[in-house]
Amino acid sequence: MLVMKNINKTFQTGNIQTHALNNFNLTVNEGDFVSVTGPSGSGKTTFLNIAGLLETYTNGEFTLDGKDVGQLNDNGRSRMRNEKIGFVFQGFNLIPDLNLFDNVDVPLRYRGFDAKERRRRIEENLERVGLASRMKHLPSQLSGGQQQRVAIARALATEPRFLLADEPTGNLDSQMAQGVMTLLEEINQQGTTIIMVTHDLELAMRAIRTIQVRDGRVSELDVVAEKASA
Amino acid sequence: MFNYYLRLARISILKHWGLSLLMILAIGLGIGATMTTVTVNYLMSANPIPHKSEQLYYVQLDSWDVNDPFDEGQNPPDQLTYTDSTNLMKAKKAFRQNVQAQAYAVIEPNDPEILPMIVNARANSADFFAMFDVPFIYGNAWSNQADDNKELVVVLNKETNEKIFGGKNSVGESIRIDGNVFQVVGVIDHWQPKPRFYDISTGAFNETEDIFVPFNLIAEEKMRMSGNTNCWKPTGDGFEAFLASECIWTQFWVELKTEQDKDDYLNFLNAYVEEQKQYGRFLRPMDNRLSTVTQWLEVQEVVADDARIMMTMSFMFLIVCLLNTVGLLLAKFLGKAPEIGLRQALGASKSTLFFQYIIEAGCIGFAGGLLGLFFAFWGLIGIETLYGDYMQNLATLDLNMMALAIAISFFATIIAGIYPTWRACKVQPSHQLKSQ
Repeated sequence: MLVMKNINKTFQTGNIQTHALNNFNLTVNEGDFVSVTGPSGSGKTTFLNIAGLLETYTNGEFTLDGKDVGQLNDNGRSRMRNEKIGFVFQGFNLIPDLNLFDNVDVPLRYRGFDAKERRRRIEENLERVGLASRMKHLPSQLSGGQQQRVAIARALATEPRFLLADEPTGNLDSQMAQGVMTLLEEINQQGTTIIMVTHDLELAMRAIRTIQVRDGRVSELDVVAEKASA
Repeated sequence: MFNYYLRLARISILKHWGLSLLMILAIGLGIGATMTTVTVNYLMSANPIPHKSEQLYYVQLDSWDVNDPFDEGQNPPDQLTYTDSTNLMKAKKAFRQNVQAQAYAVIEPNDPEILPMIVNARANSADFFAMFDVPFIYGNAWSNQADDNKELVVVLNKETNEKIFGGKNSVGESIRIDGNVFQVVGVIDHWQPKPRFYDISTGAFNETEDIFVPFNLIAEEKMRMSGNTNCWKPTGDGFEAFLASECIWTQFWVELKTEQDKDDYLNFLNAYVEEQKQYGRFLRPMDNRLSTVTQWLEVQEVVADDARIMMTMSFMFLIVCLLNTVGLLLAKFLGKAPEIGLRQALGASKSTLFFQYIIEAGCIGFAGGLLGLFFAFWGLIGIETLYGDYMQNLATLDLNMMALAIAISFFATIIAGIYPTWRACKVQPSHQLKSQ
């Protein structure tokens, strides 16, 4: 469970203060699929970065699976990211010098799994996204949709509790975007909590919950009723 | 993880091979220049006989002109007169003693097929071999009796034995030297102390001699001396007069086992000089000295000042090369900021990433060290070519120097890599991930 209470995030540039998040409150339950929408500069990416422990917050309370994130040092945050959070980015963010196998291997290395376990997880997750036969290919040899699938396989390899996706379909054509979205839905149905930032309202509506961020705070909760109950 | 980081370093180095090559080249040049000068200094300042250098003493007595001191009064003369050397030898007050001088001779081989040859010779006492741990292949040193009896005996070095006797055991064989028939009593193995401490007056880095004969044969005119001779007053006519003169041309070494032995020997020297003063000699204030091997090398300034300056300058050059490497590493690692941000997102802590990139810097340093060894090898050949014989025994890289080159290169590059790595690890992952 992810709980944010009165989270503020202020950026200081010279004498100018920018309030990226302003008393931001949100609770994401186990198994949720939450889409986050909002205009550019509204603070949704800042929220995702803080949720993914990639950025610190200025004040407020943030607990992830019951742990107070504010108390963690760099090592603790890294460990929590590795164990509990998977990321999918708009730009795929694969390491171009490494083949698919080695790309998926990266978070597993930091977890400290042995070689056998790493291989099992890599093969299983590449199989899951339909790219097991291309393990030795470099990212540049794949299409955008395929690269995003590799990124998803990498995110899932550590079996995270939360999958954070920042515009996961932003660089894909509509057909590929549909494919990725379907994959995310499958993953969610298998129990992984997903928080997805998107500009695409049509895709946002496919989530169980949609929230809108405006001026650094959640302006409207549960726009769409729980899909599961529909 | 170490092997994983090594693999990532290899991938990264090959991927950015141009930049990596520049860094390796910069480090290689710096290490090459540094190791060239460090090697020369190391060999110049090495202790050539470490296990007994504190028991071997070079003897100096100030027999010089009362009105015009030797070495501007800073040091007594660097050699002894024949009179003093032979008197000290006769006294036999040390555990071992050796009087010596450089000489030369013509060997006429028995085999008419082999042409006569001029050889460098050392005229020395029997104790020379035991004092300086000279290794023998065949036979032994001659006896003290042979010294006293002025016997015509010779010890050959390995190369001379090869030339004249084809390398066989020649002990007991006869050999004609300067028209006299000598008996071979021993053949020594290759022996080249660096520096050649036992006679600095004729070159601290010259090769050891081809043959060794009893010192007393010089007085018998059966061996011709060839070392440095310094005189401060006329010698008179004839060789007898020269031997009795105040000219200095002999070197005198003693082996003393304890500090007490040293004190006793110094007292003996002082008493000897007091005695000689009664004969009108030693008019200068008493300044008798016993120097250990390392002290003697220091006094004689075996490590030249210009070699030290060159070494300092080469280290400064290495620093410049490393500063260039810092810049190049900074460019390379900051170029990897998106990957660093991503790795952080995937669970790498800053310390983990720091370790990963420091290993990459270390790999570049290791490769630079290997290239530096190659440059140092050629640098030493260049120095040997430039300075000729003086440097011929110094222009070699031994295992210690090779290990030092790699170690300096590795650790210097790691130090150079600290700042770029630290900067790279400071990137804000969220910024990098969004900008990809």
